[in-house]
Amino acid sequence: MNFFFRSMKMVRFCLFLSLFLVSLGSLTGMFLVFYVTKDLPKLPSPLSRIIETPQTQIFAANGQVLITLGERKPIHLNRVSKAFINAIIATEDHRFFEHHGLNKLRILKGLYVTFFHSGKVQGASTITQQLAKNLFFSFEKTYDRKFKELLVALQIEASNTKQEILQAYINQIHFGAGAQGIEKAARVFFGKSALDLNLAEATLLAGLPKSPTRYNPYRHYDRALKRREVVLKRMAQVGFISDLEVRQTLLTRPELYHEQSDSRTGSYFLDVLIKELIQKYGEDVVYHGGIKVSATLDTRLQAYARQSMVTGLERLDAMMGITKEQTDHPQGALVAIDTGSGAVKAMVGGRDYYTSEFNRAIKSRRQPGSGFKPFLYYAAFKDLGFHPATILTDKPVRIPVRGAADWKPQNFEKRFSGDMVLKKALTYSVNTIAAQLVEKTGPDAVIRIANACGIRSPLQAVYSVALGTSSVTPFEMASAYSVFATLGVMHDPFFFWRVEDAFGRIIFEHIVQEKRVLDASTTYQVVDMMKSVIERGSGQSIRQQGFSRPAAGKTGTTDAYNDAWFTGFTPTLCTSVWTGFDTQKKMVDSNRVGITGGNIAAPIWGDFMMNALNADPERDFPIPDTIRFEMVDTTTGCQLSGENERQDGLVVALKKEQRVCKDGEQ
Amino acid sequence: MIRQWYEPLIFSEWMRRAFSFLNIAVFMLTATVVFSEFRFDWFETLVGGYLESTNDSRPETGAIWEAGKQTANAQEYLNQIINKREDTRQIAHQAASFIDLSSSLLPGEWVTLEKQQFKTLYMALEKSMAVKIMDPVQLVWLLNGSTLDRIFCEGSLEGIKVYFIDSENRVIQQVDLKKEDLVEIENGEKPLAGKLVDMDGFQGRIYSPQNFFNALFELPGDIIPDLIANPKALLRQEGKITGVGIWNEAKNGYIKLGFEFEQAGVKQIVFVKGREWAVWQLSLNIRRNKD
Repeated sequence: MNFFFRSMKMVRFCLFLSLFLVSLGSLTGMFLVFYVTKDLPKLPSPLSRIIETPQTQIFAANGQVLITLGERKPIHLNRVSKAFINAIIATEDHRFFEHHGLNKLRILKGLYVTFFHSGKVQGASTITQQLAKNLFFSFEKTYDRKFKELLVALQIEASNTKQEILQAYINQIHFGAGAQGIEKAARVFFGKSALDLNLAEATLLAGLPKSPTRYNPYRHYDRALKRREVVLKRMAQVGFISDLEVRQTLLTRPELYHEQSDSRTGSYFLDVLIKELIQKYGEDVVYHGGIKVSATLDTRLQAYARQSMVTGLERLDAMMGITKEQTDHPQGALVAIDTGSGAVKAMVGGRDYYTSEFNRAIKSRRQPGSGFKPFLYYAAFKDLGFHPATILTDKPVRIPVRGAADWKPQNFEKRFSGDMVLKKALTYSVNTIAAQLVEKTGPDAVIRIANACGIRSPLQAVYSVALGTSSVTPFEMASAYSVFATLGVMHDPFFFWRVEDAFGRIIFEHIVQEKRVLDASTTYQVVDMMKSVIERGSGQSIRQQGFSRPAAGKTGTTDAYNDAWFTGFTPTLCTSVWTGFDTQKKMVDSNRVGITGGNIAAPIWGDFMMNALNADPERDFPIPDTIRFEMVDTTTGCQLSGENERQDGLVVALKKEQRVCKDGEQ
Repeated sequence: MIRQWYEPLIFSEWMRRAFSFLNIAVFMLTATVVFSEFRFDWFETLVGGYLESTNDSRPETGAIWEAGKQTANAQEYLNQIINKREDTRQIAHQAASFIDLSSSLLPGEWVTLEKQQFKTLYMALEKSMAVKIMDPVQLVWLLNGSTLDRIFCEGSLEGIKVYFIDSENRVIQQVDLKKEDLVEIENGEKPLAGKLVDMDGFQGRIYSPQNFFNALFELPGDIIPDLIANPKALLRQEGKITGVGIWNEAKNGYIKLGFEFEQAGVKQIVFVKGREWAVWQLSLNIRRNKD
């Protein structure tokens, strides 16, 4: 009996204690509600005000909208596929239509898991709470924030219908890839409206808000499918679909929409443009100012650039024997600049933006190899009085370097061809002759010319700088070669022509200014030599492709075959192409033969330029009045006449005062 | 009446007390409250309703309101840029001279000028001064013969830069106007303390005022205005002319003339420009008079 009495005493004590605690809890709760209320954010009325931020629009050069920043395409619930609504409700809050903002059972379960299973945290937020959090609070995890979010959710429920809440929710959730709201997401990921989403697509989208980056289907398609499986099973548990539908849907792999993937927030060009706008005007203006920006990007050229790069890199994969399943693929970059203004017309910063946002066109500094030789030849012509018919000897060279081992550059073919004119030396990219030239000009002269043409990356004042051992970006190469295309006139490269406010008032206009940085006649001589690179030298694969317009350029391949370049231009468009691995890794084909700029970068360049210029009239480079042409023997540099003209001769561009020896005069 | 509480001694007493009316009522009430809350969510509704009633008095804080503020900030910033540009435009359009224009544009500020306004400013200058900015023929070509679309002026530390721009925003012609040059263009060169004989460029070409003016008045009447196109600088200067020098070089079709003034024992030289061919005529007269 004593045990019974003691138990009853304990029960009584517990009862009174519980009553006391409940009373205390209630009082504390009431106090907190009143106390916290004054700091709670005011709710906009109606909730649809959440989409009233003015949108910043960026237009392409042809007027097409490239991107709308802060864009939300709010739609009514009846314009959303039923499958998506069911999927999001099943996944996020299946009792949404039953509760008044809180799911108490889920909260209790969440508290239990959080307190009694160390290391685990169970989420218990309803759709209304998530809406409250997204609208008003940061993502900081504190009890204070959670409590306020809970109170706001209660108010949202009290002042809006369930339909209004659900509509606001699906119109503001983030799906990644710059898509906010279901309509935008449906258009970005599947190229269709939210109403047309089928079960497979709707469930894939419904899985994304949990972690838009982790489940981004462009980057982690299989991971996104796994998440979709969770959504489908949840829908079946809740009773929205049958197990058969789950099994059938799991077999389908929704096709992602790739058509405009380069013209969305993510594209490499837009990243650079937006960064520049932010530097100029600040984030508030760019994201909330409703400005209209006229970009330089030409969507037609951009599409060609992307296509040429994709095709070229697939070809490179095939040459190297790399299969799709392998993870380490070579990358590429392409920049195209309008030579007459400096406007950047197209930019590809990598193989696929959605697998790597790193913009190799702007940020990746790589050794340009022989792509630097035009700066050297210009310096030699200008400073030493050399010309394209000057003779030097292709032979083993050893150049003493103060405080270091002698520099002994090698030719790519590892053989020597004896005497030759400089035009032939550049055409066939003879390193030993370039080394002799830089020994005479000094590396500073080469750096001076490169800097004048717009190379801003640090260049080391060593002899090998002439052979491209200092790293530069494809953007710099395209910009610098543009100076050759205009025969010495520099235009600063730029990304946007005009910025207007929401009322069409002009905030900024780009003025195209010309700066003569190189002498026109000397530049023409170098350009004429670079034309020969495409006609008969290391870039002749371009002619074999069928690109017949007047063009000039130079290949570049680094010693270890880590980088393969081709930068070239017509009088109107200058394009630089780089290919290589992100890490220092050799590019060799299946026979272990190194892949050069002429093998891979030049065909990408040719493919792009053929498409880019197909609608433009053909133009040749203007010839300065001071230039005349002579046919010379490539080994003696002497003028050829009569029958000799058909033999080993090259037409060289000479200034009026420059003389070559007559045939037999040597 | 105070009743002493005592512990029940028997089981039935315990049961009677446990199931007393008060206990059952408290239990029922508590259970009703808890279950009705789970069933009807009245607490949430109550709190929600209360918060709704206080909505208008609460602060506009949180992400969505911040976005609104950022929008307002952005609009304010953009309006500032527009207003400043509009002010600059108005001041620039009221400018009566290139100096006025230069002082209305701070470094980095710009304004678009109408062709007519540029023409008016240009034509307000004396011919000899206007040519320093641009040859009149070149201006005729720019304004009437080229693809000129707009004239764009930008302030710089040194003065102003004038860009003549076509419809594709390409610069057809650029003119940099330095502040000191503008002052000189508008007012003529400042008088220089010193003597003509001490200046290079005038050696052997310094004449007495009498010789100079005699030769000048022998010129045909229509040539004299071309000889001293801008006599204001000379009229402004006080004192007596003690010598006149002719510079040994022509520039842009003009030759510099130096007038040496003396006042209270202090000598100063005032420079003006004369049309090259008029000065040659004058030189011939001086030489002939000497012979």
